[in-house]
Amino acid sequence: MTTLKHRTHPGLLTALLLVAAAAFAAGPEKEHATPIRETNLSASPDANAEKLMPLERGRDLIVLDRSTPAGGQAWLKVAVPPVASGDKTGRPSTDTQKQKEEMTGWVPATVAVAASTMNADLIIYGEAVNSENEAEQRRGRRSAAEDALRLYQRVAEFFPTSSVGGEALWRHADIRWQLDRARSKGPADEQLLQAVIKKYPGTKWADLAAFDLLDNKMCPAWNGLAECPQKESLAYEQYAREHPQSSKFAEALYNAAWRQAVIADIFRGNAQRASSTAAHDRALALAQEVTSQLSPDWKTRAGDLIYKLQQNIPVYGVQQ
Amino acid sequence: MKQSRRCGQVLLVVIVCGVIVCGLTALAADKEHGTLVRDAALYVTPGSTSEKIGRVERGRDLIVLEHIELAATAAEQTSVAEKAPWFKVFVTLPQGTAVREMTGWLPALGVVTFSTPNGDRIIYGEAVDSENQAEQRGGRKGAADDAMRLYYRVGDLFPNSPLAAEATWRSADIRWQLEKNQIRSRPSQRDLSPDARGHVDEQWMKEIIKRYPHTRWADLAAYDMIDNRLCGEWKGLAACPEKESDIYERYAREHAQSPKAAEALYYAAWRQAVLADIYRINSDGTRSALARKKARALAQEIASMPTDGDWQPRAAVLIFKLERNIPLYGPGPE
Repeated sequence: MTTLKHRTHPGLLTALLLVAAAAFAAGPEKEHATPIRETNLSASPDANAEKLMPLERGRDLIVLDRSTPAGGQAWLKVAVPPVASGDKTGRPSTDTQKQKEEMTGWVPATVAVAASTMNADLIIYGEAVNSENEAEQRRGRRSAAEDALRLYQRVAEFFPTSSVGGEALWRHADIRWQLDRARSKGPADEQLLQAVIKKYPGTKWADLAAFDLLDNKMCPAWNGLAECPQKESLAYEQYAREHPQSSKFAEALYNAAWRQAVIADIFRGNAQRASSTAAHDRALALAQEVTSQLSPDWKTRAGDLIYKLQQNIPVYGVQQ
Repeated sequence: MKQSRRCGQVLLVVIVCGVIVCGLTALAADKEHGTLVRDAALYVTPGSTSEKIGRVERGRDLIVLEHIELAATAAEQTSVAEKAPWFKVFVTLPQGTAVREMTGWLPALGVVTFSTPNGDRIIYGEAVDSENQAEQRGGRKGAADDAMRLYYRVGDLFPNSPLAAEATWRSADIRWQLEKNQIRSRPSQRDLSPDARGHVDEQWMKEIIKRYPHTRWADLAAYDMIDNRLCGEWKGLAACPEKESDIYERYAREHAQSPKAAEALYYAAWRQAVLADIYRINSDGTRSALARKKARALAQEIASMPTDGDWQPRAAVLIFKLERNIPLYGPGPE
């Protein structure tokens, strides 16, 4: 007769008890929320209470408590973490910049979307789209682009597995990229786009992030020399070969072809006939490849480029 | 008697004029039409050493009157343009607010006619290129106008091309946006009602609807035309958003297949939500509740529409704001 013994190691039991005790002491994980409208952090749950600081759309809020005064509106007690100096969330407001430590206060529950709210991912994402749209308007709300940046970031953080999680992270990284490029002439910080590639490998968002990153490989000016367009053409072609499923495939191949056509003009101007012919032929081959694509705009642009190459119409330099 | 003789003379002049016009028209119709896919100078005689009489931009209508092959000199051999044939062309160019009809010579390089193989694709591609230039911060000056003309030429020179409808629509849309921006940039226009304000010329959009009825291009043209019926400023009154919401909703109902149907319904819903705020501020509780209900119903309709893109999340946030009574119009934070 065999007796089965359930044996427990005394050391393991102690360790498990310690972990459980630590988890109990830390309490359940706090819920996060974000405002979808500009609001204020108040000292107490009262519309007339002292305003501690303004809160922009998309700020990260940690919900500590809830309060519904009799007959009044609902309030959330929240902790607002400071925006870290290395945070890529966007240019914080002056008040936000002043915030060095976590602040605690109250916000009206109506304007804060908690992660547990039904359709919270779609709601925050929708407000991000609204803000992005505002930023594109001539008379749009000031700092709307930064609002969109933060709101997209919150969707990606709170709901990484949502149907809009990948798209939100990509849009967040792309807006940051475009803002950085518009503000400084040097290479933009690649950190966020690299994060998209790492988090969603082999997806359309990774393809788009990799395409954005090509910007850092472009020369500020060609100065009539072949070296830069040559390097850029290779970068675009390499992208196309490595991302054949990308929605940017045809565009990358066209950009590679167009730069080869430019190189042909530069070499012709320098009376380097053999190099010019080689670049001309390469441009033609790449442009022909684009014409087999479905996208009518890139297909026709490639058709136009082929015509100019065949007619020896210069695409670079002084036109007659 | 005298009057009848005068009538006879007038009739004779009319007939002669008619014959001349018909003759010229027939001549023009016979001649090959084309356009340029790059800017070119117009010369008095063939050859780049002759006097320049004007500059012809991309997309201008050219009537090719004559071809000539230049006997190139050794020096001229270096110029690509000199090696190509030269065309004598008739072209209408703007001069200030007027137009001037000109005849001159230009190199055939860059001229695409209806006999050029893949001519439709080449012109369309150059139009896309110009449109792209117009969207760049440091893009070519006049690129939007180039794109507008080039797209128009695709439909004009190649009416049976598969690209013709899309090109004609894009041309009309660029024209519309340019004119709209011009009108809206006048500060005096903002305060006026749609009836008193300057209107964007609807001729080109109506042409699209007539030429391509019940297509996506007709739907898009009808959508653009809504701009002419919108107010500049609402001034806190309900009349404008009420009317605009109706217009957008009607569009969505009448163009259910349009790529703009969800957008139109969203704008109808959003304006109803604004109305709810306006009525609430005016202490008109009943109307405010009705507008809120209508806004919700319209926004919920978007959720059930087979649409890609951003309109469903935008409708979701609108519903959320309506449910929580977050104002969309009026004072900012509490």
